[in-house]
Parts: sequence; structure tokens; C-alpha cells
Amino acid sequence: MVALKKMRWLAIVIAVVMVISGCSYEDTNQGTSSEGSSAGANEIKVALDIDAVSTDPRLTNESAGKRVNELVYDGLVRLSNNLEPEPSLALEWSNPDSKTWIFKLRENVNFHDGEPLTAEDVKYTFDTLLDPEFQAPSLALYDPIESVEIIDEYTVQFNLSRPYAPLLSNLELGIVPKHIAEKEDKSLSSNPVGTGPYKMVKWEKNSEISFEKNESYWGGESKVSKITYYIIPDNSTRVASLESGDIDFIHSPLSPQDIERVKGNDKFNVVETQGLGFTYLNFNHQNELLSDVKVRQAISHLIDKEVISKSIYRDMDTPALSPLIPASWAFTEDVPVFGYDVEMSKKLFKEAGWEDTDGDGFYDKEGKRFEIKISTHSEDPNRIQTAEYLQNELEKNGIKVEVLTNEWPTFSTNMLEGKFDIALLGWLNLFDPDRAMYNQFHSQSGSNYGKYNNEKVDALLLSGRETLDQEKRKEIYNEIAQIVTEEVGYNVLLYQGYIAMYSKRIEGFTPNASGNLYGLRNAVLTE
Amino acid sequence: MINFIFKRILQLIPVLLGISVLVFLLLYLIPGDPAMTLLGQDATVEEIDRFKEQMGLNEPFIVQLGVFLLKLVKGDLGDSIFQSMPVADIIMKHLPATLELATLALIIALIIAIPVGIISAVKQFSWVDYTSMFFAQLGVSIPVFWLGLMMILFFSVELNMLPSFGRGDPLFFSIAQTIKTGNLYYVVDSLKHIILPALALGLMSAAFITRMVRSAMLEVLKEDYIRTAEAKGVKGFFVVIKHAFRNALIPIVTIVGLQFGNLLGGAIVTETVFAWPGIGRLVITAIGQRDFPLVQGTVLVIALVFALINLVVDILYTLINPKIQQ
Repeated sequence: MVALKKMRWLAIVIAVVMVISGCSYEDTNQGTSSEGSSAGANEIKVALDIDAVSTDPRLTNESAGKRVNELVYDGLVRLSNNLEPEPSLALEWSNPDSKTWIFKLRENVNFHDGEPLTAEDVKYTFDTLLDPEFQAPSLALYDPIESVEIIDEYTVQFNLSRPYAPLLSNLELGIVPKHIAEKEDKSLSSNPVGTGPYKMVKWEKNSEISFEKNESYWGGESKVSKITYYIIPDNSTRVASLESGDIDFIHSPLSPQDIERVKGNDKFNVVETQGLGFTYLNFNHQNELLSDVKVRQAISHLIDKEVISKSIYRDMDTPALSPLIPASWAFTEDVPVFGYDVEMSKKLFKEAGWEDTDGDGFYDKEGKRFEIKISTHSEDPNRIQTAEYLQNELEKNGIKVEVLTNEWPTFSTNMLEGKFDIALLGWLNLFDPDRAMYNQFHSQSGSNYGKYNNEKVDALLLSGRETLDQEKRKEIYNEIAQIVTEEVGYNVLLYQGYIAMYSKRIEGFTPNASGNLYGLRNAVLTE
Repeated sequence: MINFIFKRILQLIPVLLGISVLVFLLLYLIPGDPAMTLLGQDATVEEIDRFKEQMGLNEPFIVQLGVFLLKLVKGDLGDSIFQSMPVADIIMKHLPATLELATLALIIALIIAIPVGIISAVKQFSWVDYTSMFFAQLGVSIPVFWLGLMMILFFSVELNMLPSFGRGDPLFFSIAQTIKTGNLYYVVDSLKHIILPALALGLMSAAFITRMVRSAMLEVLKEDYIRTAEAKGVKGFFVVIKHAFRNALIPIVTIVGLQFGNLLGGAIVTETVFAWPGIGRLVITAIGQRDFPLVQGTVLVIALVFALINLVVDILYTLINPKIQQ
């Protein structure tokens, strides 16, 4: 009897918990479950590793938010698969002079709520973006824009404070509807309204983001009527969900060991291309040991990029040459290469005055041992492995190394404050050569963590921004790449690969190295 | 009884306040702030500074703590830095998923642990005992993320029986839907989603609780009154359940209470592997982003749940053994 009473209590407790867990649920599902019966065959299911933070293009800086914006908004231009700007909301553009850009807008384009897009919306988008109070993360990329003028309902003029060649590649930014954004500051952050091929219909935080096609899209109606992004943080689970058929499309970041398995499965396409980022070693030029260029070169001769690429990244990322990525029109192979060469390294250390005088296996100079720290962040297991590999390789050859791994917020704060010797990290979204150069190597720039300083490079970086002719720009950036590689401003280890794996049911879609999913609007689902 | 509960709830207030201050201090002491993460790789030093100024992150510790506590007293957990939403709303969207998962994991654990533990104790040193103890040892040792992944590969990829990730509709909601429509699909779909994560999470607890039940039972089975009951001719089964198990319940209830707390904590890994949208993943992400208000709020809510579980355990003690109340 008492036992029964007890069971009753337990049942009550469990019931209470169940009620609590059920009560606060709001039915936003509109009658469909995630794998619900009404989810028709005409739906592409994509799995992403993180959730979006904001769906307001002016505030987005993380990959998941960008993936949302690509479907929901259009920019003035859109970058093609080889990073060339193509007309989007802007039909055409011209440069009356090097500091003036005039864009002619497409007419009869409507936002998802039916309101027409005009020059007002374009001006509003950039005016708010440029307002420091608005705190747009990418403000620095638009800094040279002085003002945006409305010429007529469908013509806008950008006035620049100085010529700025990378402008076009940054105008992919989604145009927001003024009539919604000015009413309430933050509504677009969670309820995006754009002119793009898909409307966002649901966002369950940390779980899924659903889109339905915009039937009146100016670029024509999409064939696939629904796209859903599911948030699956674990790399291996993401691959398993593709294999089980719960998901149709996944892409980088992926774990190298899972990729081989899918390659052997004839149900899936596996596309591997060069991505738009690189992984590099940042040398702190203010560190007394590392301020000597010979020392930086000597260390570079002890790094075998082939081994890192093969053993740790399993060829997913490839050995790099300079900060110019292969996907870029400015790419060059004509840069100094520091091959793995222990003898050469010894020679350079000796020239810099470092020798092992006390026979303890480590270089010393004036009674001081050569000791450095290599820092990286804990979110990326491949980078931790790389740092440990470097530690092992350098310690064999006379350099005492301590590896420090911290979470990204701690690590990045240390970078900003210059509290590091050698740091292992990466740059992404390199749509233009300026993007991994100007803020990184210019002596007056905030992202120049290692305080690299070379007057000639400063001047070249400015002219790279101010020259509009692409061929001339290529020459400029090639020269910068040669100098910073020679002086080991950075040691760029790897070009990041981009991998997309998707079901063969999806046809008519070519993955884009930036991870851009706009192309899904042209996809067809076969059964 | 009512007095007792009321007193215990009053005692919670200083505890929760203490936890808040402690968490605030911890977050203040770990290096790093949300600015660099939120503003991303293109942000300038000036922008980062401006952001910190706006967020009040440049204020002295005492001022920041004061602002936080004043809000807290008014019942305001503040707004998340990253999700531009009130922290309370975000927590209410994620907590149910974790409670549902932990509850089901605990039910699974009890269904396995109580019978196995009792049988192991009664048949001590038999093959049954050795086998169950072997599995209990295994259950304690296997990492949840590995087990979870193996389950996904087997049940979803190989057999294609169960979904590989995510949560269907909340179980409670599905049950209501099924009752309303008479269509079993809703409940089955929710169960299909929750069964793997709940199993992965519950097996470790099952192992712990099995060992606890066994040792508590062994303790009690040696007592004189058990022999007396047997001498009086009470059937073996009744002796075990009514006389022995009831007396062994006190330590078992304690460990079950603790395990429920552990399940809430252990859910972090499970939620990540199975992409379960719960509070564990939420808090990990928030810590990684240094979303201070969200970390504060989530930790506070988890502490509250812990405290409430303890309260329930204490109430259960008095029901099991009325002497305790005095």
C-alpha cells in the first residue's frame, strides 16, 4: 500500500515536470512536424553547424546568418562562382570618376510584403550601416563611402572619400526594406523581409530555419518550394544525417575522416574545391626574439606544410604559398618558398646569433634560451593538432615551445592586445585580395595583430585600394604577397578547402566556394 | 508539511543570490568578452571599444554587479547580447526540451536499474549478478558522445529506423494531439526522436543507480527483521519488495535525485550529438560567445531546478520514513 502511495507521488512529480515541459511550448508548427507527413518531396533539407545570430544583413557576420541572407535578400550585385560581381538589384553601374559610383536599379521588384523596392531602401540600408551607433560588424569594409545620394526613384549614387576598388565585392550586402527597418530597430534581426527568392517562415532557435519560395521573385520562380536549414552542431552527426537520408545537403566545416566514407557512397555527390580562406601563423613582430626576420625565416624552414595538410587535414586543406588564395583573380605562384630544411634553419639561426652553447638541445644567446609560445583556439581540433605538431617539430630543432589553447573570446582578446608570440588562426570570406591584406598588414590597422610594419607595403596597400584596373591591382597585390612572404609577416600554412556533399536527387546546382546557397533556387529535385 | 516546504523555499533565496554573485564573479574573471565574437573579423579596435562602452562592459566590477542584481531583484534577467531577446524568453524556449529529455532518460534508467539492482542483490555472486555488474561498469565507462554516435550510425544510417537528429514536437504536446485527433502518428514521431538521446543519456544513470540499488539492498537483506519476516513465512518476493526494498529506498532516492541533476548537466554532450535544442547546448554556446546575461540566467535556472529536485527528494524522504519529519 505504502509502495503504491510512493509510486503515486513519483507519478505526480513526473507529471508536473511533463506539464511544465509541455506548457511553455507554443505551437508554431503550422501543423507540420519536422519530419511531418506534409513535408512534401519538393523540399531541400540542409544541415548547418551553427545557428544564425541575426537575420539583418547589416548585422550579420557569422556563416549561418549569411546562409539565411542569401535566400531572403538581394544585394546590388551578386558574386559569381569565380567572385566576379554580377547584376542583381542593380541592373548596371558606372564610374563617372574614381570616387563616384552610379547604380541603376531594377524596376518592379517587390519586398516579400508586397512593398516596392526603390532607391530609398538602398540609401537607408547604407546610411544606417555607416552610422557608428548602429554597430554594424562589417562597418570597416564600407568606411570609404562618404554618402549615398538618391538621383531618382531607381538610381543611386555612392560618393567615396577616396577611390576604393573592393567596393563592388562588398555590395553583395542585402538591401533592407526602409518601411520596416525604420519602424523598429531590431525586427529584421529575427523576422527578415527582403526581395530574395525565398521567404523565411519559421525560426526555431538552435533547431531549424524554414523558407518557402517567393512566387513573385524578379529572377523567376524557384522550382524547389521549400528549403529548411537544420542546426546540427556535431560534424559526425551531420554526416550521419546525410547518409540516413534525413538531410539532403551539408558542407564545410566537416571532419576529414567522415569525408572518405561518403565518397564511397554512390548516392551522394562530393564536391571539393578551394575555399575562400586560409590558415596561417601570425608572428608577433614586437616580440624581441621574433622581431628578427632571420629568426622568422629560420622557423619557417622547420615547418612542413605538406605533412600538416596530409596528416592532419587529410588533403582537405592544401599547402599554401602566400595570403593570396587560388580562388582569387590576384593569385600568384611567384613568391618565395621556405621549404622544410633543417640545415638552412640552423644556418639562419646562427646568422641571427643563436646557437646551442650549453648543449641542452636548445638555442641560446647571451645566456638566454630561445623560448616561444604558440597559441591557438580550442574550438578547432585540427588547429590544436597542428600547434602540437609544430611544438614537436620545433623542439627537435632547438626551440623550446609552449602550446596555449584558449576559447575564441579569450584567444581573440589576447590577439587584439598583442599578448602572443606565434598564433595559429585563419581569415575567411576573402572575396577581394584587399580583404586579407589591408587590415592585416597596414601598420595603422586594427587587425594587424603582430604589428607588422613596412612603409612600402603600406603604400602598396593604399594604391591597391585606389586602383580600379584589375590587371594593375593584380600586379600590386602580387608585389605585396612577395614582400610579406619574404619577410614572414605571416606564414600562411594552408589554403582552406571547401567541401559540399549532397544527395544526387539535387540537380542543377553547383556549389559555390564561399558556401553561398543562393544557387539552390535553380535546383531541381528528382525522385 | 506545508510549513516545511514553505521554509525550504524561503531558504532558496539566499542560495540563489549567492550563486548569482559567484557566477558573475567567474564570468568577470575569465578573459575575453563578447565584442570580438559578435563583431567578427572585420571589426576595428574603435568599434570594439564603442561596443564595450555601450554594453557597460568597461564599468568597474561593483557597478556591473550592482546593475545586474538590481535587475534580478525586479525579476528581470536582462537581454541576451547575441540573440537580442529577453533571456527569460530564450530559456523558456530551451528548458522544456532538456527537462523532457532528462525525465525520459531517468524513467529509462529506473526501469532498467531497479529490477536489475534488486535481482543482483538477491542473487549475489550468481552469473546474473556478475553480468549485470559487468554491464553497469561498462555503462559508467562508455563516453556518451561515442555511444550516441554509434546509435545514430546503427539505428539511423544502417537500419533507417529512427531520425538521426533533432526533436519532433514536444512529447506532451504530441500526446495531446494524438488524444485530440486519435492519430498515433504524433506520439510515435515524438518518441522516435527522443528515444535515442534519452537512451544514450539514461544508460549511464542506469549503471549508477543499478549499483546503488544493489548495495542498498545487500545492506538491508542482512538485517534481522528480514530473517524474522522470512521465519514468519512471508513469501520471498514480498520480503524483498515490501520489507527490504522499502528500507533501501532512502539511499536510492538520494542517488536518483542527484542523478536527475547529473542528467541536466550530462545533457550538454547528448544535446550536441543529437542536435537536441535544449538548455545544455544553449549554455555552452553562450559561454563560448561570452553572452554574459544568457549564461547568468541559464545557470540560475539550472540551479533553481537543482534546488527544487532536492526539495522533492526531501519530501520523498518524509513519505518513505515518517520519522524523518520529526
